[in-house]
Amino acid sequence: MKSKYWIVGILIFATLQLSAQISKVNLQASGLTCSMCSNAINKSLKSIPFVENVTANIKNSSFEITFRPNASIELDLIKKKVEDAGFFVAKFEVVLMVHSLAVSNDAHIDINGTMFHFLHTDNKLVEGETTFRVIDKGYVSAKEFRKNAVYTKMNCYKTGLMGSCCNTKIKSTGTRIYHVTI
Amino acid sequence: MKRIYISFLLFICTGFSSKAQELFAFTEPASNMAARSLGLRLNSTIFKDKVLNYNSVHVLPEVMLGISKKVMIHLEGVISNQGGTVYILDGASVYAKYRFYSQDDIHSHFRIALFGQFAWNNAVVHQPAIDFKGHNTGYEIGIVSTKLANKIAISSSVSLLHAMNNSNSNTFIYGDKSRNAINYTLSVGKLLLPKEYVSYNQVNVNGMLEFLCQSNLYSGKTFIDMAPVIQFIIKSKIRFDLGYKYSVSNTLERSAPNGLLFRFEYNLFNVLK
Repeated sequence: MKSKYWIVGILIFATLQLSAQISKVNLQASGLTCSMCSNAINKSLKSIPFVENVTANIKNSSFEITFRPNASIELDLIKKKVEDAGFFVAKFEVVLMVHSLAVSNDAHIDINGTMFHFLHTDNKLVEGETTFRVIDKGYVSAKEFRKNAVYTKMNCYKTGLMGSCCNTKIKSTGTRIYHVTI
Repeated sequence: MKRIYISFLLFICTGFSSKAQELFAFTEPASNMAARSLGLRLNSTIFKDKVLNYNSVHVLPEVMLGISKKVMIHLEGVISNQGGTVYILDGASVYAKYRFYSQDDIHSHFRIALFGQFAWNNAVVHQPAIDFKGHNTGYEIGIVSTKLANKIAISSSVSLLHAMNNSNSNTFIYGDKSRNAINYTLSVGKLLLPKEYVSYNQVNVNGMLEFLCQSNLYSGKTFIDMAPVIQFIIKSKIRFDLGYKYSVSNTLERSAPNGLLFRFEYNLFNVLK
């Protein structure tokens, strides 16, 4: 019985607007080896209005992206810009500063207006700099996306959008929801 | 013989787990340039015309546009020294490529694209081989697949060509049945330098070897060319290619089969709305 209250408590807490700020995104792109291809991604990412700086590691095809202060960050636009350059996202990590963030497995959390759905994650209280790895379609390999489907029965994992499986009291149906793991 | 060769190309392309660099000089890979980006090229070829005994020079300014992540187009003009006298604009072409399959992994990909080209030319038709780089009016449709892995790339294409009459009443004089041909290519490339990437300012050096073949569908006559290429990429946006193409087997007549290609390319990323 106690555990039920604990879970309900976490869920209520999780639905509150949380104080958290995305400090950077680390991504790895797939499909390239040369520096001209890496530069195409680099330039494409730098064209995003809310991006402040991009630091590229050509050897690993990875990019560290920082953002303008108080900017509204759209993760899907970052992924689209990698694809526009002709490549794909293989790994996408969001680094946030969080304060007393109660994370619950297979549940939704609104963080500063962006919806997250945690999968394959222990129930815990998170404090300080934290890394979420986005595991939505297009943010990992197709093989990994299929593999991770075992961690939830909710349909929003397949669509990336809130649906009948989700608590639509937090956000309306059709809202983008990012599936992440810690 | 032709079938065996095509089968060999397809085998290489689909079954061979190779590794390579794919910005080829005489062919296009299945990959596209970045969306909303612009590429400017100045191509020049110098071939020894063994019939008229002069250096046949073509200068081909080219603009490349990345329409979307899957579609790109090239627009090219042809300026030549017809007969070795004056340089005149005597041709142009439009080329489009649609990448419809892409299987990407870290430091590798396998991609397939469809491409098509329409070329216009007003020079005298003086060889049965069909060439849309400054010789014939006509069109081409084809398919190209490219495998890239780490420092090595391998690419192969098959396309159908149809020669029309050139402008200026310059008819294709080798008979209507000889207007159709098939092109097949095989290109391999390797990143030679740098040994390890640390900066966009490092000069990249790629070495390539390309095989370019054409068979006329009526006469069955064929040519096979081989083209070694050295390529320099500067500041990750400027490209310079130097290639030499020469005939290794030739039953399909050409007036100038052997010669040099120079290419200068400058890429402007994210400049199109």
